[in-house]
Formats: sequence, structure tokens, C-alpha cells
Amino acid sequence: MQTRAPDAAAPTYQATAFTNGYEFSKGGYDLPHYPFVAPPELTSGAVLRHPIVIVGAGITGLTLACALARQGIAAVVLDEDHSVGVKGASSRGICYTQKSLEIFQRLGIYERIAAKGIQWSVGRTFAGKDEVYAFDLRQQSSFQLSAQPPFINIQQFYIEGFLVERIYELGHVDLRWGSRVTGFEQRDGHARLTVDTPEGRYQLDAEHVIDASGSHTPFHDWCQAPRQSRRGDDRWCIADVRFSNLPPTERHTWIEAPFNDNRAVWQHLMADDVWRIDYQMEPDADPAVVSSEAEVRKRLRRQFGPDIACEIVWVGPYAYRSQCLETLRIGSVFFMGDTAKIVSPFGARGGNTGVGDADNLAWKLAAVLRGRAPPALLESYNQERLEAARQNVQVTNRTARCLRPADGMERVFRTAVISLARQYPFARQLVNTGRMAVANPYSQSDVCDASGGLSVQNVFFRWEDGSQGCVNDLIQWADGHLLLLVFGDQSAQARERLANLSRHAPVRCVQVLGADNRRQSLETVRDPLGHLQGACHVFGHAWALVRPDAYLAATGEAVDSALVRAIEHALALA
Amino acid sequence: MMKTQLHLQDADGFYEQLLDAHQGLSPEQSELLNARLILLLANQVGDARVLQECLAAARPAESTATT
Repeated sequence: MQTRAPDAAAPTYQATAFTNGYEFSKGGYDLPHYPFVAPPELTSGAVLRHPIVIVGAGITGLTLACALARQGIAAVVLDEDHSVGVKGASSRGICYTQKSLEIFQRLGIYERIAAKGIQWSVGRTFAGKDEVYAFDLRQQSSFQLSAQPPFINIQQFYIEGFLVERIYELGHVDLRWGSRVTGFEQRDGHARLTVDTPEGRYQLDAEHVIDASGSHTPFHDWCQAPRQSRRGDDRWCIADVRFSNLPPTERHTWIEAPFNDNRAVWQHLMADDVWRIDYQMEPDADPAVVSSEAEVRKRLRRQFGPDIACEIVWVGPYAYRSQCLETLRIGSVFFMGDTAKIVSPFGARGGNTGVGDADNLAWKLAAVLRGRAPPALLESYNQERLEAARQNVQVTNRTARCLRPADGMERVFRTAVISLARQYPFARQLVNTGRMAVANPYSQSDVCDASGGLSVQNVFFRWEDGSQGCVNDLIQWADGHLLLLVFGDQSAQARERLANLSRHAPVRCVQVLGADNRRQSLETVRDPLGHLQGACHVFGHAWALVRPDAYLAATGEAVDSALVRAIEHALALA
Repeated sequence: MMKTQLHLQDADGFYEQLLDAHQGLSPEQSELLNARLILLLANQVGDARVLQECLAAARPAESTATT
């Protein structure tokens, strides 16, 4: 079903007004309004069956919906709100990794993000007045080669707004606003959902329910999802502000800020010249007190001086916590984003993990629904993204422990680390104010060989006509199939085998040649600088089996039966 | 693997220096010295498995891990 695109304009910045609390009420942003449209279930009363129903139109649910739409797969999205970025204003992301940006490029919204957002690569950590640790991601070769920068900072709702626009452009996905899921029943092979809307209640059946409804999901209780949670006494208060004179475009963190009673502070830029300043408060601080406008202005004056000229865009007090499910799939329900795990927002491991979750499941659902892979492939979503969730929870919990050490010996070691960091380079690495999110590797997946499991960067190569292409172009060309890259000259026998594979297996094959190789009978591209080969983590004569989510399923050397098995393995066919 | 045989060049000398380093310090200053020393020495060792074995060996035998 196609829905007419309503007012799908991107949100724009307007005059600011002071706001306070967990709900973004009348803030400084003019957000789009997406109207409720009565679905066929409501008008006919029939219970319709849908292959995919996504609950929650946040960054995770919309990324999944957009990835499905791009592959022509129908899905229904249910969201209780009528806009982006309003509900759950707490813990809204601002920082997007290269991997997420590469995914957004594939989805067709990267240009919009790059035009609106702020690129940065320098991070500095201070203890008191001393800089104890700094990095410049542009200097790290691992970040240089992608078509996308190391990071872009932008308010999360902009990305959500761009995704909604893109979904309306692509079609295939039925975005249902003002639709709150109030009931769930697991049946044989599908789930029945009850949906409350402004015009009444209806039911629908879903073969795959994707719960992307965020940290307050009702599905955990409905599915009795086993999970582990941790909540400490650490308290923070975010102030998003607009300055008249701008601080540098760098990520600054203080583990002990003299202007915040030696507690931690974050300072980071977003679009519209808005800066996020995140202040660590006293343990168990009263949120109402620490987020009052007078208190916030006092803190800002202490940090930036008495003459600071700034507008306060938004203020939010938080108690950060962590939670991780023990399985991301229960019956017909898949958990992703903040329903899979909750992390403290250190290192941008919240939203970026949700984007990775969505991109992982999207191609698998598409392959299964198109009959290219058995339903068993979907189990690998749980294996791969549970590993990612656990890793991200572990990394952020380590940061949280450095920032809020328990009284006693943990505090002593923190003091020791900071004092050593001022003297010796080795100790600077121990000052943990957040480890930036990465494309998590998969080491425990049934469909990733031990030679695979790593992300492939969106690097450049040359098409045969000399024009420039990037990995995402090849993935797009493969159209949901596996992409087999074979590097270097191939024997006649190998070429024959590859041609056979292209005809009979769910794989698209491309020969990657150096500057001097002669073109052979296969589809070819040129990799004169070896960037494509490097991105695939292989050397010399080799092949790399790349999945639609730009992860390696496997790599190898000889074009033989092991390659055939790797293809079957990658799609859970064997 | 963690060394359990003597590796110190001057065992008695090191022990004396360790005690002397704490002379005249308050309990809090001594705690901080020990913490700094552990971190400095750990960086000399480097090997993750050896450090893990040392941590396990250092815990009192009757106590059980809580994490």
C-alpha cells in the first residue's frame, strides 16, 4: 500500500526557548507532523497478515524500514507519535560513526546528513587544566580511505526526518503514525498485535515483529525476555546551548573539570551551532535542582566565563544505566536498538548500535522473504548483534566505572591513573572518558567464517571506464545477493568456476584487477591503490565474500569447493 | 606464564626500598603510592595473561570473586 507523503519536510531550527525535563515539549525545533491515516484493518475490520511489522519509528526502526524499502520489501511501521525526536528526548544521539554513515549512504540520505551535520576528528581529554589524552582520527589510516568521514555530529531527529522523507520516496513501507501497540499474543508462526489509534483499536498479524520501540518497550514483559540490568548513582545533566562565539570543532572531555567541582564534563558540537555540554553531577543529585535554568546558567558561566552569550536550547537530567537482553529473538519477535541493549551514552555506542542492528537484519529478512535463504539465516541476527550488544555494554560500563569510581580503592586507582597520565604517556590510555563506537566484529556467528566477520569500509576503486566507484556501488549492484570479489588474474579453470557460480548461486562476482592486469572475461573493476583489497582484509591472490551489510562472510585464496561451501554457509543453506 | 621462581635481581634490596618508599606517608598517601606502583609495574609486564594470573594469585585464598 502506498501512502501519500504528508508534510515530510525535514525539521528546521527556529528560535530557542528554555525547556527542561525528560520530554522535549516546545523546544527550539520545528519538527514535522505526520498525520494518522486509517489503515485497511480499521476501515474493513479484517485482521490482515503482514510479513514484517516494525514497532517504533526511532532511528533504529526507521533505518530498518528504509533498508527494506530500498530492497522493495513491504513492511508496516507502527509509531505512537506523529513526529520524530519528540518522545524519549532523553539520551538522544548526536554522534554518528563512519559505519553508520556508510549505511546511510547506501540508503540514500548521506548527502543530506553531510550537508546539515558537523564533521570532526579531534578528541581531547583534560584532567584539570592539563590535556592528558588526544586523538585525531584523520591521522589514523583506518579511517582515511572511506568515502565517509570518521564521524559526523548531528541531532538524531534530523536523521530520523531524512529517513522518513526517504521512505516516502521509496514506497513499499507503510508508516502508521499515531498507532500504539497495546497487546501482543504469540501464535503458531506469527504474532497478533493490538493497535490503539485516534480512530479506534484494531488487530493485525505479523510473521516477523521487530521491536524497535526503545527503552520503555512493553515487549520485554510480554515476551518475558531474560535480561541483565545495572543502575548506579551517577547523575548527569545535559545542556544543549547555542553560543555567539564558537568553541573549536573538537570533542573535549574532562575527567576532572575544575569548573565542575572536579567532576566530568563533555563538550561537543552539533548542527545549527548547537553545543552539547554534559555535566556530571553529584551522585544521586536531585534532577529538578540540577536542571533549573539558574543552575544551568551558573555552570555555563563557570565553564565559559561571566560574559558568555548563549541561548539554552534544551536541558535534560539523566541517570545513565545499562541493560542487555540474553537473546535478541523470542518467537516471532526480534529486539533491536534500545530494546536489545541500553548503554550509557559514552562513545556513541547507543544509536550507532541500533543502526547496525537494523542493517544486519534488513538484508537477512529480504533474503528469506525472497526465498534466497532459509529462515535459519535469521538466527544469525541474534548471534551477531548479541555479540555487538554485549561488547558495547561492556565497553560503556568500563567507561562509567572510570567516570564514577566506587568510593575506596576504585577512587584510589582513578587518582593514580590521572596523576600518572600527567607524567607518562602509557597512563593516558587508561583515562577512559569513552571509547568511540566501531563496526563490531562477529566472531560467534554460524554464517561468518573465522576468516570473515569484519566490516568492509566504503573505499574507492575505478570502474573499467576510469570513473570512480565505491564499495556501496558494488553492493547496490549485487542487489541483495552476496558479492564475491576475486583479486588478481584467474586461471581459465577458475574463471569457468566463477562463471558457473554467477549463474547458479545467489552471488554476484567481480574480478578486481591491479593497474597492470589484463582484463579477463569476468565483470571487472580496477584497484590500482589496493584500497579495495585492504578494505577486504586480504592480500595477493584472494577472494572476499561480502554481504549486503558490507561485512565479510568469508575470505580465502583458491577458487575451489571451499568457496562454494562458504557461499552456502553465508546464507545458512548448509 | 606467571613466574613463581625468584626473578628479582636483588630481592632483599627491593623489599627494603619498597618499605622505605612508604616511610613518613599517611595511609592515604601509601594507598596512592601502591596504586601508582601497581600501574607502573603492570605496564612493565604488559602480557595480559600474566597480569590476569597475578591478579588471581594476589587475591586472598579464602575470598571468592564477586564480579
